[in-house]
Amino acid sequence: MTDQIREQVSALLDGELPRDEVGLLVRRMERDPELRRAFGSYSLIGETLRAPGGRTAHPSFAARVSAAIDAPGSTVTSPAPVAARHPLWKRPAVATALAASVALIAVVLVQPFTGPASAPAAVERWAKAGAASPTPAQSQRLAGYLVAHSQFSSPIGRRNVWSGLLAADPGLTRVSYETPEAP
Amino acid sequence: MKPREPADDDTRPTAGVEQSDLELVKRAQRGERGAFDLLVLRYQHKVVKLVARLLRDQAEAEDVAQEAFVKAYRALGSFRGDSAFYTWLYRIAVNTARNSIASRQRRPLDYEADLSENEQTAVESRMRHTDTPEANVLSEEIRATVNRAVEELPEDLRTAIILREVEGLSYEEIAAAMDCPVGTVRSRIFRAREAIDRNLKPLLD
Repeated sequence: MTDQIREQVSALLDGELPRDEVGLLVRRMERDPELRRAFGSYSLIGETLRAPGGRTAHPSFAARVSAAIDAPGSTVTSPAPVAARHPLWKRPAVATALAASVALIAVVLVQPFTGPASAPAAVERWAKAGAASPTPAQSQRLAGYLVAHSQFSSPIGRRNVWSGLLAADPGLTRVSYETPEAP
Repeated sequence: MKPREPADDDTRPTAGVEQSDLELVKRAQRGERGAFDLLVLRYQHKVVKLVARLLRDQAEAEDVAQEAFVKAYRALGSFRGDSAFYTWLYRIAVNTARNSIASRQRRPLDYEADLSENEQTAVESRMRHTDTPEANVLSEEIRATVNRAVEELPEDLRTAIILREVEGLSYEEIAAAMDCPVGTVRSRIFRAREAIDRNLKPLLD
């Protein structure tokens, strides 16, 4: 470790290090325990000169604080980000609520134009009609619906749809309706 | 007795230190743990000393001071920089110490049933004044070592470190007082600290 870097550490303690040098030094100190030790020691020297007497922290105190923050059972998490830095709509909870609202509106608006209230009900009606098996075109349409539906439905819901579909057309080949894995 | 607000304290950080603290806080808020560790290193002795004074129980002081730092880390996201970081930390430390005192007063002593009220008061008083001898000896040795090392410094280094640490002058003010460039002041303060640190290191390792 060069004296130049230790001199920067000394200047950082005094708040006299140019701002553009702070980031690099802080990152370097994060990796270098000797630099952190020097920072702690310089700080102790100042404290002792300013206010002699009284208790000083044990040499392992800072390490214990760090361990307490990192402890697995600790409730401590990273400090909450400054709220003002993110627009309201970008915050996770708000974004989720917005997405859910948009999905709900889409379902409500689209329903009158798509006819059947839900895929299982539609399949049930087909099965109950029993007069004739769905045509390949109908099965294909339903399978297409299913693929689209699977993005918003629960696994149980999807299984119900498939059961109904297969009951209506046992010969239907099971197509993949899972959302494809992201590359 | 109500502790003094740090604003009235002689040891209030200089404007440069406040600015540097703010920079470290911003970095810590962005998730740089190393930046918060430096704030702990900077203020650990001050906070331990403050808490020890409030609790009058040296043994418990470090635990309470540690709790204060952990609370500060947890609440760091709410720190807006309206006051100096140390002022904010100081309030957390004082509140944590007060909570500790309140909880200690609620805690029954194991031997309560066997003691009269006067005896209990005497025991509690003795407990509050219990110091850990090891910690006291170390603090005393640190003080003696630092003072001796400062005495042995060449005059230009000694003047620079005293003007900085005791008088709280900025590098620019020290440069004006010592009639030398700011870079020289920075170097002198560093060399003074290095010389003292060489004496201190065996005690702290």
